[in-house]
Amino acid sequence: MYAVVLILAILFPFITPDPDFWVSSGGTRALWLGVTALSMSFLNRNLGLMSLGQLFFSGIAGYIVAISSVTHNVKFGTSVPLAILAGTLSGVIIGWIALKTKGVYFFMLTLAVTLGLYSFANQAQEITRGHTGINSIPSPIIFGVDFAYVKPLYYLFLGIAIALFALCKFLEKTSFGIALKGVRDNEDRMISMGYRTMPLKMIAFVFSSFIASIAGVMGVFYVTNISPDSVGLTRSIDLLVIVVVGGATYLGGAFVGAVLIAVFEAIIQDFTQYYVGATGVLFIVVLMLAPQGLMGIAAQVRAQRGKKAGASA
Amino acid sequence: MANPIDLPPAFLLVYRCRYKAEYPGGGVSMTRFIFTFLNGLTLAGLYFLVASGLTLIFGLMRVINLAHGAFYLLSGYVSWTIADKTDNWFYGAVAGSLTLGVFGTLVYVLLLRKFQYEELRVALITLGVALVLAQAMLAIFGGDYYQTNYPENVSFSVPIPGLGLSYPFFRIFVLILAIIVAVGLWVFISKTRYGAIIRAGVDDTTMVSALGINVQAVFIWIFFLGSLLVGFAGAVGGTTNSFGMGTDGDYLLFSLQVVIIGGLGSIGGVAIGSFLVGVIGQFATGYYPTFAGMITFAMLILVLAFRPQGILGKKQ
Repeated sequence: MYAVVLILAILFPFITPDPDFWVSSGGTRALWLGVTALSMSFLNRNLGLMSLGQLFFSGIAGYIVAISSVTHNVKFGTSVPLAILAGTLSGVIIGWIALKTKGVYFFMLTLAVTLGLYSFANQAQEITRGHTGINSIPSPIIFGVDFAYVKPLYYLFLGIAIALFALCKFLEKTSFGIALKGVRDNEDRMISMGYRTMPLKMIAFVFSSFIASIAGVMGVFYVTNISPDSVGLTRSIDLLVIVVVGGATYLGGAFVGAVLIAVFEAIIQDFTQYYVGATGVLFIVVLMLAPQGLMGIAAQVRAQRGKKAGASA
Repeated sequence: MANPIDLPPAFLLVYRCRYKAEYPGGGVSMTRFIFTFLNGLTLAGLYFLVASGLTLIFGLMRVINLAHGAFYLLSGYVSWTIADKTDNWFYGAVAGSLTLGVFGTLVYVLLLRKFQYEELRVALITLGVALVLAQAMLAIFGGDYYQTNYPENVSFSVPIPGLGLSYPFFRIFVLILAIIVAVGLWVFISKTRYGAIIRAGVDDTTMVSALGINVQAVFIWIFFLGSLLVGFAGAVGGTTNSFGMGTDGDYLLFSLQVVIIGGLGSIGGVAIGSFLVGVIGQFATGYYPTFAGMITFAMLILVLAFRPQGILGKKQ
């Protein structure tokens, strides 16, 4: 299954019609959104926490790269690692507060964190240039490859996405990942078994903010600008739509949702006025009818059939 | 009457500009201090009106409505439109409140009721509603900023004794309204028979149904009341402050800050939260505009570090 998806993803720029448009607006965009969504799915799948704070970390990392390279002429070799580090470390502070709460409180608190960055980015004009944001961020050139071109950027993002996905999968297999699932299912029991659950949750949260920070840098290179709207309410909900529609309890769901939304956006671009409304309706329908998302539909159908078969027997 | 006015997008920024424009003597430290305090206090009144509906619904039904900011904005548009057509502020406010009351009830009955006990799923659905609403409002009203005209009989200023300055009465009126609503809600929920039924219906739905009370109807009324309150807040807030695209996110943030700091589900908590967010936020905006957002945010973090359930919240 993974092999098929992987081969398709590698061949995608050569088999798609109108490659200039679809590689960038479909492929690269989906990979960027997918990595952002992955940081959310990882947390939800392994810890049962739905976080809207991921855009906060993305935003911190993105703004640091944008400000340092455009305003202060810092080289990407310095600014990118620094930005990822800062985004990840801000996860320690937010995690310390947010992990004391659960469920809908956690969700609300992380939403407030992201909206807080939005209002800061809007107000602190001296630093962030306010509502206009920071525009024309240059593309990186690594080993003579200019990532301003469509295909190199696509393969760079594909490489990052595969690496992070594999890393998540690997972590889930380790004893750390198994302990995390224990915390998700029954934290009290894990505590009485002698586990210290807070450090476990903290590591998972900081790891997810690490992924989100990388996604933030990816976003800066893909969009080439950053503004408060990059961390605003609409963008947060967009991300949530991707995670939920793809399937919030599956890691692959992040990418399924991202591809779906990217393609949907690209197709509906001409009717852009109604785009967000349309995704909102899709989101509500999925939540009401198939809360496990697209990845979970097969399992859901199977369960319902089983129920019917059980009833008739 | 009122025309769409062109103002910068961020609500706080708007507030700051108007502060400077309205009170050119802002350099005088004492005057500036008093005006900032009054602005903060009356803003707190508005925050209370906005957040009380959110906390009422959550406190009684465990349903968190994240379309709250969008509800506020929708009411702003509705009451602006009606006030503009009829030339009467009061009709606008009534229309805004009732529209939202009915709209909120419909959202509850059609989308939320089935999943009422799945907190997160309900929260997500309401975010979907917020998204659809935001887009619909943008399509209808565009990206301009609006502000409803003050009702004529209260559009005067009251002098502040000893300073030779005056303050718009309508802002003080908002604070008075907030206090009336606060006392009214408290009396209604903890002192009347209906309040007793509501509290009992929330604690033990089955038992109260067995007593012959239609608990579903009770829930619908709570949702109606909560949405009516945010509708009213939208009408009032749309008069004291401009609103437009993005206002939904701003007010969702304020409401979340207020209820997180004060403690979700507690009317007293909302009062304390509104006071802190309003007054401290206003001082931060007036004196350190660049870091205003950071300062309110730091306050939120500080409160949660010591009391994760908020100042008056019950332990989860």
